[in-house]
Amino acid sequence: MPTRSSLAIAFRALRRNRLQTSLTIIGMTIGVAAVLAMIAIGTGAEAAIEDQIRAAGMNLIVVTAGNYKVKATDDFGGGAVEPSAALRRHDDVAQSSGACEKISVVCATRVMSFFSPTLLAHPEDDPMEKHDHPTARQRLGDSEAGLGSAATLTAEDAEAIRGIRGVQYVAEGLHQNVHVKAGDKRWFTRLNGTDLHLPLIRRAWTIPSGRFFNAGEQSRAEQVIVLGSVAAQRVFSDKNPVGRDVTIWNQPFRVVGVVTTTSWMVAPAPGDDQFDAVYMPFSTVHRLLNLAKLNDITITAASTGEVSPIMSEVTRLLRVRHGIGDEKPDDFTVTTQARQALARGGLRPDVARAVVGNVSGLEKVTLEQLGKTLDRATRTMTALLAGIAAVSLLVGGIGIMNIMLLSVTERTREIGVRRAVGARARDVRSQFVLEAVVLSVTGGVIGVIVGLAAAQGLSRYLHWSTTISPVAVILSVGVAAAVGIFFGWYPAKQAARLDPIQSLRYE
Amino acid sequence: MSADAALIAVHDITKIYAMEGAPVHALRGVTIDIHRGEFVAVVGPSGSGKSTFMHILGCLDRPTGGRYLLDGRDVSHLPDDDLSAIRNRQIGFVFQGFNLLARTSAVENVELPLLYAHDSRISPGERRRRAMTALAAVGLENRAEHHPNQLSGGQQQRVAIARALLNDPAILLADEPTGNLDSRTSVEVMDIFQRLKKERGITIVLITHEPQVAEYGSRIVRFKDGRVVSDHPNSSRRTAAEELAAVALGAAEDQA
Ligand SMILES: Nc1ncnc2c1ncn2[C@@H]1O[C@H](COP(=O)(O)OP(=O)(O)O)[C@@H](O)[C@H]1O
Ligand SMILES: [Mg+2]
Repeated sequence: MPTRSSLAIAFRALRRNRLQTSLTIIGMTIGVAAVLAMIAIGTGAEAAIEDQIRAAGMNLIVVTAGNYKVKATDDFGGGAVEPSAALRRHDDVAQSSGACEKISVVCATRVMSFFSPTLLAHPEDDPMEKHDHPTARQRLGDSEAGLGSAATLTAEDAEAIRGIRGVQYVAEGLHQNVHVKAGDKRWFTRLNGTDLHLPLIRRAWTIPSGRFFNAGEQSRAEQVIVLGSVAAQRVFSDKNPVGRDVTIWNQPFRVVGVVTTTSWMVAPAPGDDQFDAVYMPFSTVHRLLNLAKLNDITITAASTGEVSPIMSEVTRLLRVRHGIGDEKPDDFTVTTQARQALARGGLRPDVARAVVGNVSGLEKVTLEQLGKTLDRATRTMTALLAGIAAVSLLVGGIGIMNIMLLSVTERTREIGVRRAVGARARDVRSQFVLEAVVLSVTGGVIGVIVGLAAAQGLSRYLHWSTTISPVAVILSVGVAAAVGIFFGWYPAKQAARLDPIQSLRYE
Repeated sequence: MSADAALIAVHDITKIYAMEGAPVHALRGVTIDIHRGEFVAVVGPSGSGKSTFMHILGCLDRPTGGRYLLDGRDVSHLPDDDLSAIRNRQIGFVFQGFNLLARTSAVENVELPLLYAHDSRISPGERRRRAMTALAAVGLENRAEHHPNQLSGGQQQRVAIARALLNDPAILLADEPTGNLDSRTSVEVMDIFQRLKKERGITIVLITHEPQVAEYGSRIVRFKDGRVVSDHPNSSRRTAAEELAAVALGAAEDQA
């Protein structure tokens, strides 16, 4: 029997009892919508926590050239090692940590929303102070301390790190203070030579116009540049800089894009390290400045649980590559943002509370434990929510079974007629199963729409984070179909079992 | 198959319904041969086993004992799916209660057998075309989109006949087809049957408890208590077409 006509028969049969059909479909709709919305909330929560972890830089590892450990205290406390410290004079560090303690809330918020190697220690982070322009002395201070003098990292090191298991992205880092010129406008800012994957490492980045530089431009060391929104504003005012040229080191650079942040917690401002900055391929910096070394290498782990093993692997690898003997200290510094974040309360208070509540002796917690605890908590929540929703799906399924059983009784004569004109038992069975599936899938599709709307509403009005993946949508419709088959099977079997003669005589 | 071999060869078939208490012997050994193109009227009192006999002939049911050769093939013990295929291809049923699908148009009712023609792929267009042809054959081409509740009893029965004829069956089995019809429409239905026999050579088994309806057949078989008690050619055969013409003439004279 052709599928198309089977479907037509199913639809026609269902149209005969509009009210019953609609009620049954509503039952399924509620079930599927509930499941989808609950999964959306659950995975949304998972993603939110994962986001917090990443935003706090928990999957972020920074390797800095040189070994400038100021205080080698590794425990959780104020003295956590900051990657930026390596590039900074000691008095700068002391001053800025002091500032951070005073305004720890602001610092914490910033750490949450994005990670920047120099952010925490930057003197301009003190909101009490007004800057319209970073001073040359402050800027140059960075390079005096770090650049060149302890140049131990190379692009080959970065390439080798890319091969480590569990590594997600690796970005080479070169930092210079430069004058960016366009026409008669001039702006003194921070130049970052980096990798094209940087926007994927920085969490809250968005590119409002143009694009980040691409693989071709990076490999050919082209003179392309991406402007941070503050730099773009200073140099081009409100004009769109994409496609225009800027001059640095008396060289022209084509602007290919502008980056800014999506985070409402951070408004890009002058002195800001990410958006009062410009970006170009590190290869271009190498070529133009005739350099071969890197200031730092930024690494992200695919999962937070892998941060620790990756750290030790990076250390091992670099020691081998740099030929450092057993007794000698590292000529580089590997740090993670996670420890600082935990110590400084970079986590959202509820998340932090969950972590503290679930793990005794927080100071001893490893990243793996933290990641696993969070994972477990959110998975449990998702499962619980989905379980509750599944009950309504079950009710929907029972509704289908009910209407199908009723339908078999009501249409006994029809079944007899179909058998008399040549329908096999299995034709009858598949017809009823198909009807049940049409009911459940119709309900499922409407349920998906309602569920999507519900998730939207929840995130818009209650500010719950919800995530709906295509997989969840497909799964919902699939589950709806499965419910139809499961609950339609018994009535369909009853229909197929009917004796043709008895059915024909049925009044 | 030799030309004179019976299309339907039933030998000593019995049907016993195992009821609680005493089993019911609906058929107690029926032997009968029906040849191609015959129009057999089966008569007998209620409960004599006529319907049971027809269900077995139509492969809706299997006999308890005996043998049934349909076109030379023993179908007494075929599996269910094979019986379905035989019903679909070789047999058309017409029932007393019409048995049309409610809330389904005449033409869609007529199409039904083609939905279950498993061995051939028939396009929806072809299905519709053939259903329309069948409807035209019973004079209902302009009622194709009507639903059963918008049709008279006679029209409904004609739709049922069109449906029964759709797959060009060799055999048409009709169980009390005129039972719910007035005498005038009964004659019209009998006219269709007689034309089908004459023009297409269809083999018809007509079950009726009304002796005057049986008179339209070419052979009359009488059942009693699950047995055939008489079986002879019909000497006083009525011709529906003539009767209809006479009635039309009478009506015309009345008007004049
Ligand atoms: N499904 C059945 N179960 C039990 N008895 C049946 C069944 N069908 C028919 N019978 C019995 O078989 C006998 C013959 O019935 P039937 O063939 O319908 O007779 P007819 O059509 O001549 O009136 C009757 O006594 C009837 O009660
Ligand atoms: Mg009967």
